[in-house]
Amino acid sequence: MRLMRGLPMGIKMGMCAVVLLCASIACAEEKRWVASDGTSLKVEASATSENVVDLLVGTEVSVVETGGRWVKVRTEAGATGWVYAGRLAETRPSAEVAGTDDPLFGESMKKSQITTAKADSARSIRGLSPETVSYAKSRGTSETCKKSLEKILGRKVSAMDVRSFLKEGKIGEYAQNTGRGK
Amino acid sequence: MKKLLFLTVTLVLCSSVFASADFFDTIQSVVSPDSKEGKIIAGASQMLAGSKDIDYKTERTIGEGLALEGLTRFGNPVKNDQLQQYVNLVGNALAANSKRPTIPYSFAVLDSPVQNAFAVPGGVIFVSRALFTVLENEAELAGVLAHEIGHVAAKHALKSTQRAQMIQGAGAITAASVGGEKGKKLADTVGNLQTMLFDKGLDKDMEFEADLAAMETVYRTGYDPAAFIKVLEKLQKLEATSKDKNGSWFSTHPPLAERIARLKAKLATYPDYSTQAHVDGRFQKYVKMK
Repeated sequence: MRLMRGLPMGIKMGMCAVVLLCASIACAEEKRWVASDGTSLKVEASATSENVVDLLVGTEVSVVETGGRWVKVRTEAGATGWVYAGRLAETRPSAEVAGTDDPLFGESMKKSQITTAKADSARSIRGLSPETVSYAKSRGTSETCKKSLEKILGRKVSAMDVRSFLKEGKIGEYAQNTGRGK
Repeated sequence: MKKLLFLTVTLVLCSSVFASADFFDTIQSVVSPDSKEGKIIAGASQMLAGSKDIDYKTERTIGEGLALEGLTRFGNPVKNDQLQQYVNLVGNALAANSKRPTIPYSFAVLDSPVQNAFAVPGGVIFVSRALFTVLENEAELAGVLAHEIGHVAAKHALKSTQRAQMIQGAGAITAASVGGEKGKKLADTVGNLQTMLFDKGLDKDMEFEADLAAMETVYRTGYDPAAFIKVLEKLQKLEATSKDKNGSWFSTHPPLAERIARLKAKLATYPDYSTQAHVDGRFQKYVKMK
């Protein structure tokens, strides 16, 4: 405030107005939250563009610019890049979802920010849990049904498989201008 | 009015004193679900159910038990690995954009002649072979799968029964404890949910919620959300001529006309929906293989 001493009242008021304007612009910056698993910040508004950084579900970002179905955002850490609009939500995901509630891989994913590939391998080790085996025994469930469920739970679908699948079908962020897929 | 007031006060007192799943389930079983008393009990039960979270391991154990019962009742998976993998790819692409994207999901096409799809807690989702006769492209399949993902994400089945709370109440479920009292409670819960999922159907508000969630998930993934409405319209035509509705989407879901009307209202919020993907060729390639 000492710096402003001696300045004419009009200039003081003008400076205050500028400060207030800057503050209001900062406050008005739109917020979004990452809502989809396997989201990456891209250098350009294209699914095939290079990754800047992978973003976990629940990450808060500020909108810098919008361009059709892509949104340019800035993370709290200061990284800037593009995210497909379908991967962002206007409201913060619940704490349970953002933290991921699967004890088999959720906590490690949350704490160590491990890659999607590692999370995928954790997913793929699923089979019948010991509790389910005990339940099946107590109910006299047929071996065929047990083996069927074991096979269903053991099927592997990685995040990379899903990306290739969407790309092949030209779906979402991989859509061309027609957007119809093949 | 006095009767209703008495019933409500009784329920509140009992819930605080006993917090008993069996108590609520017993009352629910003797009162007509369409009566005023039935609706109050269902609401109170759901409120209490929603007040406590069940851990994922317990949720998954209940779901796997239900999955075994579903396989026993509706048949084993269609023996076509490429079709099963295809459905898992569509399903997992959708699940990543659902309201609960951070748990693992598994999908299977069952060799069942009944047109149905159902989800069990924890993320295992089944679609019947017969339902594929109604579907014409990947976006339509996506609508059906996303509806079921919506149930898993919102934990609808678990919120529908108090019994699930009782399993968790006495500590973590283990393989050893499944053989004892806890095992009995697990069997009770699975039995209760079986009736609800396979015969009676979930609460109709839960179905509407899953429909709207499906549309959002389908749209965010990049499929045309109008395709889901088309599926329901085709089922509506089939319903009119169907003689045996047992165990089908007709018998376990709310009236299709109301669902379609609500979805059409929601569709208006997606101005660019018609530019989204349908993916006919790939769908035909895998589904013809079945």
